[in-house]
Amino acid sequence: MNALLQKVYDFVDERIDLKTLEAKMMREPIKGGSRWAYVFGSCLLFIFIMQAVTGVLLMFYYIPSADHAYASTQFIIHEVDYGWFILSYHFWGSSAMVVMVFAHMSQVFLWGAYKTPREMTWLVGLGLFGIVMAFGFTGYLLPWDQRAYWATTVGVEIMDKTPVVGDFLARFLKGGPTPGQMTLSRFFVIHVMILPAALMGLAGLHLFLFRSAGPAGPFRGTSDELKAKTDFFFPRQVWKDIVAMAAVFLAICSLALIEPVQLLEQATPDPGDYHPEPEWYFLFLFQLLRWKVFSGEFGQFLGAIAIPGAFMLLLVALPFIDRSPERNIFKRPIALLSWAVVTIGILVLTVSAILNREFLD
Amino acid sequence: MPHPVDTISSVKLAWAIAWSAFWTGFPFKIIVALLLLTAEIPPWEGAGLVTLLVLSVPVDIWAVGLTARTIFLERLGMQVHGPVGLGLWWQGAALGVVVLGGAYYAVGTTAAVSQKIAAAIIGVIKKIYALPIAEQITLELLIWSVPTAMVILVCLLIWLKLFGWRVKRFVMTKGQTSSESLPERVRQWDYARVPADPTLVLVSIAGVAVVLTVTFWVLLPVTTPHRHPDYPPPPSEAVKKPVKPEEMLKKTETTLAKAEAVLEAVEKEKAKEKKKPTGKGK
Repeated sequence: MNALLQKVYDFVDERIDLKTLEAKMMREPIKGGSRWAYVFGSCLLFIFIMQAVTGVLLMFYYIPSADHAYASTQFIIHEVDYGWFILSYHFWGSSAMVVMVFAHMSQVFLWGAYKTPREMTWLVGLGLFGIVMAFGFTGYLLPWDQRAYWATTVGVEIMDKTPVVGDFLARFLKGGPTPGQMTLSRFFVIHVMILPAALMGLAGLHLFLFRSAGPAGPFRGTSDELKAKTDFFFPRQVWKDIVAMAAVFLAICSLALIEPVQLLEQATPDPGDYHPEPEWYFLFLFQLLRWKVFSGEFGQFLGAIAIPGAFMLLLVALPFIDRSPERNIFKRPIALLSWAVVTIGILVLTVSAILNREFLD
Repeated sequence: MPHPVDTISSVKLAWAIAWSAFWTGFPFKIIVALLLLTAEIPPWEGAGLVTLLVLSVPVDIWAVGLTARTIFLERLGMQVHGPVGLGLWWQGAALGVVVLGGAYYAVGTTAAVSQKIAAAIIGVIKKIYALPIAEQITLELLIWSVPTAMVILVCLLIWLKLFGWRVKRFVMTKGQTSSESLPERVRQWDYARVPADPTLVLVSIAGVAVVLTVTFWVLLPVTTPHRHPDYPPPPSEAVKKPVKPEEMLKKTETTLAKAEAVLEAVEKEKAKEKKKPTGKGK
């Protein structure tokens, strides 16, 4: 058996220089050794692959038309063998992706890994962040129930407030005065074709840039200590990545079992008793927009577009503003404080939005 | 010359062990939790919780032992011969029970008192200014959750301080200073975590993974356990008895034989009646 495998390996190696590829992929030195803090990127890749697999399985049964989207989703839940679990895994996988993106970005920010020479990796990473959020936004509409319909309506209305391109974007996405067949078709195409292609391209570029600049390594420790601990990517970091991926997989499965997807009534232009709200990871922004200071046309623009836009621009400009070579987060108090304020702010506003539900009736 | 344990604070040492041990044991515990969920047994209450807690004990003992040895060698340059996990785990667990008991009352009281204070502050603000509901919710949440979070943090620090103190005592009495250089110590803790027979371990892991995967799909309900009211479960068909031709033939033969016997008896009866004289005659 081993001799046969060796023959196959040699055959492939002769043609595509497998040994060099293997050396590049697995023998990459990691300054300071393998760490659990480095697993987030691999976990993101794993979640994306699983989303693609479950997404393809769902597409075997899903019909992207306003007449059949709801019924076909209900069919997946109630009739297809294990369909309810696959759909629930896909649903929770999208949330896990958002959480993991936040964890990955936090780790890069706190470890100062966006600094020279890794600015381009950071910028491409921000692009990937945008794609992940777009995945969540477009996928939410597809079941075509009241929750999906109204979350999209709220999201598109927020988008409409963007100066210059807002009106065009909102009209393009909706494809009519109210969400309907055109909206569903466009969201479906963006969700299953444009975004996966964009994500694969940017993720490849992200990995290439990461490998070109090399891992940043720990922000503490003498050069002798780091040298002593330096290790190759295989086997220890690979092992840590596999364990983390398994833990993420099991956590998503658990969530799918604890809280499986249950649809509301089929989408209608009348919200009835339903109080429209976006997905949970946009709830903090939704709650912020309820504040009196953000009421009115200008206030809504300020809260929905200007502040999030300025924040994103700040993230883009971050490696060019913060040019100090210091990476130790405990010696960068402004960075630590800013991260804490943003994280706590998002957390408090999200919980506030959940508590706010009681006061809506 | 100071002892190596004096170079690190109790809190840092305890945190390093507890944090690493938590994540080391986490994948094993979540496997148990997932299998329980698949069998529709919630792992947060009743029998599910008991199962999870009982199975977590050996996992935690192993994880504490593994991470503590690594940290002793890496940060303190010390080695402990003999078991580590059980000795540290029971001390951590005993301290955890005491601190958790205290924390239960401290956190509960703080949350209750600060919620009352928050309500009073909101009441005062409302008298001066018509506070909109969204702002009120966030403000109220901040007023009571910040002190509550602080108390939780203090309780955690108390446990870490106490556990760190016990860890230091443990390593001072049972540990020996390693005279090796840092690269050699790195090699030692690397090898400490590499199994003696990697092939055997890989095959075992693969085998366990296959068994767990099969168990998962066998236990997982095929259709959703949470049906939509508009999609009721299909009516269950009446169970049809399996057809057994031999039995049916025998049964038919028996029935026919019985019928024949009855018929014969009836005919005999009729014949007797015919033979009997009809009436007394004239």
